[in-house]
Amino acid sequence: MKPLLSLKEISIRYKKNTPIFQKKKYFEALKSVTLDIFPGETLGIIGRNGAGKSTLLRVISSVIKPDSGEIINNGASVSLLSLQAGFDENLCGRDNTILTGMMHGFTRKEIEEQLEEIILYSELEEFFHEPVRTYSAGMRARLAFSISIIFSPDILLIDEVLAVGDSRFRKKAEMTMIKKLNSQQTIVLVTHSQQQVLRLCDRAILIEHGISIAEGEPEKIIHLYNELVS
Amino acid sequence: MRHARNNFPENPNSFLHSAELAKHQSNKEDLDFYLGKAQKQFPKLIETWLKSAEYSMHYHDYDSAELFNSEARKLANKNAAPPFIQYAEIAMLKKSWGLALVRWEMVRKKFPKHPSGYDQAAKAAKALGNNNLAKELKLAQEYGPSVLKEPSVNEKPIRHIEKSAALSGFLSLIWLKAILNLKSEVKRSFLSYGWWVLEPLLHMGIYYLVFGFLLNRGGENFSVFLLTGLIPWMWFSKSINNCSTSILEAQNTILQINLPPLIFPLISIVQNTLKQGPILLLLLGFTSLQGFGPNIYWWSLILIFLVQLNITIFFSCLIAAVIPFIRDFIYIVGSGLTFLMFLSGIFYDYRTISEDWHGLFFSNPIAFLLKCYREVLIESSSPDLLVLSYWGLAFIIANFILAFIYQQLRYSYPRIILE
Repeated sequence: MKPLLSLKEISIRYKKNTPIFQKKKYFEALKSVTLDIFPGETLGIIGRNGAGKSTLLRVISSVIKPDSGEIINNGASVSLLSLQAGFDENLCGRDNTILTGMMHGFTRKEIEEQLEEIILYSELEEFFHEPVRTYSAGMRARLAFSISIIFSPDILLIDEVLAVGDSRFRKKAEMTMIKKLNSQQTIVLVTHSQQQVLRLCDRAILIEHGISIAEGEPEKIIHLYNELVS
Repeated sequence: MRHARNNFPENPNSFLHSAELAKHQSNKEDLDFYLGKAQKQFPKLIETWLKSAEYSMHYHDYDSAELFNSEARKLANKNAAPPFIQYAEIAMLKKSWGLALVRWEMVRKKFPKHPSGYDQAAKAAKALGNNNLAKELKLAQEYGPSVLKEPSVNEKPIRHIEKSAALSGFLSLIWLKAILNLKSEVKRSFLSYGWWVLEPLLHMGIYYLVFGFLLNRGGENFSVFLLTGLIPWMWFSKSINNCSTSILEAQNTILQINLPPLIFPLISIVQNTLKQGPILLLLLGFTSLQGFGPNIYWWSLILIFLVQLNITIFFSCLIAAVIPFIRDFIYIVGSGLTFLMFLSGIFYDYRTISEDWHGLFFSNPIAFLLKCYREVLIESSSPDLLVLSYWGLAFIIANFILAFIYQQLRYSYPRIILE
């Protein structure tokens, strides 16, 4: 099968913030990451904190261009869903929903048509019309995830969103993901929950120190990861 | 074991355990013998058939296993799961995955709480290449069988963002965000919209006190003179102030979504311009009340306004573009604006400076714009439309160049923000 998107030996290095007269220092966030994303699959990305998972998602969503390596995108649209979704603290949930949707390329009308559905899904009820600064972390997560139910990019990137919120909402979110899986949505999932990887992913990739060191069956990769951590 | 068999001929365990022992010794002959005994003596005992099937499975004799298992199932009452689980397991061992799925479904129907009905079935589904079913089965184990009955949602067709639609999308995004920002700005203060008018009046009050009263430099109609300079100036300086950190403030968004960074300073500009609109109208009302009524030259205000908009866009977006690269620049913006304010003739008339300096003085486009505003509003004369058009044209070209530079730097900002 032809991959939707391929990364070949991607590397990213950030300049460290140094005063003007000192020699520049670099930090390598990604050293060499190679991966393919195939249509319809759910790919799990596993790695320790600071292994480069978030940077990798930014590369996939083409927010950041790599310093070296190659990205081959066979015409896939990519959306990144994350808890730091850039909500405006002073605006209410409704306004933030519309703005976020528009930033992802929807028209205002398209979002307003689905607003009812989003409100219902988020279970925020009257809070939906309150400023986001009054929300708890769980409520933010719910809002962020609920907005994504209307998204259907070719590749949906999910960064830890499923991990937050109470367990009941988390289950609901997972159910929604499953429905998306059935509709052949391609998903890249970054999560700390090994259970989630086992349950949801078809394939997993292990990232360590900015290098994609292994890929394959979720069970195998989780096992490797646990060995690595211990 | 022989002892046990002799002493307890009524106990099936003695035969079954003997069989187990034979199995461990890999003595198939003995195994068959003891099983045969057990089958003859205890045909009504489910254990006998289960064990028989189990040993057949061990020796890959699946046909016998099926046979023994069917006996076990005939004897099974409602609560006995093992015969049915074994039934499915045989299919698994035979690698008849489709058959296994059907049999596991039977297990699930009879024993919805039994884990094998889900996790083993998931294995079968996976072996069949049906990963979605496998996943659903695993989820059903956790969330209950209702998951399996849920129809998959009818997703709307996947939509791609058309390039041509992108521009209008961005414009409506800028517009909406600016309006929402104003809304939240208004909500945060007690006097809400009142501040839009009060703020320039407060500034005017201060300058009037210092220049008109303490220094006695005002002269006739000093309040009108001050306001015609101050209101356009505040539009310019506030836009620059708000824009300067607009890209840095949008960092969460920039790191999430691949958006052109030019959007962020433009939002601040639209926001400030919307705020200035009503104040400018108030200024026109105020000058009329002071006896400087409407005249034909007021039409040129539209051109003056557009030129100022272009100048504002240029400087605001330029500064917004530079600051993420050189953050120290933030400290200069404030002093730079103060410097420019003193050089633009807000609280003094340009005619009070020596004519030798006029050329240099009007190389500052803001000073020139303020002169134009006053010519129209106070002196009821036409501004220098030719020079005004030159400024306008120069800044339109400059803005196009700036937009191009923004396009080139598009991918630099997420990095700069992270570094």
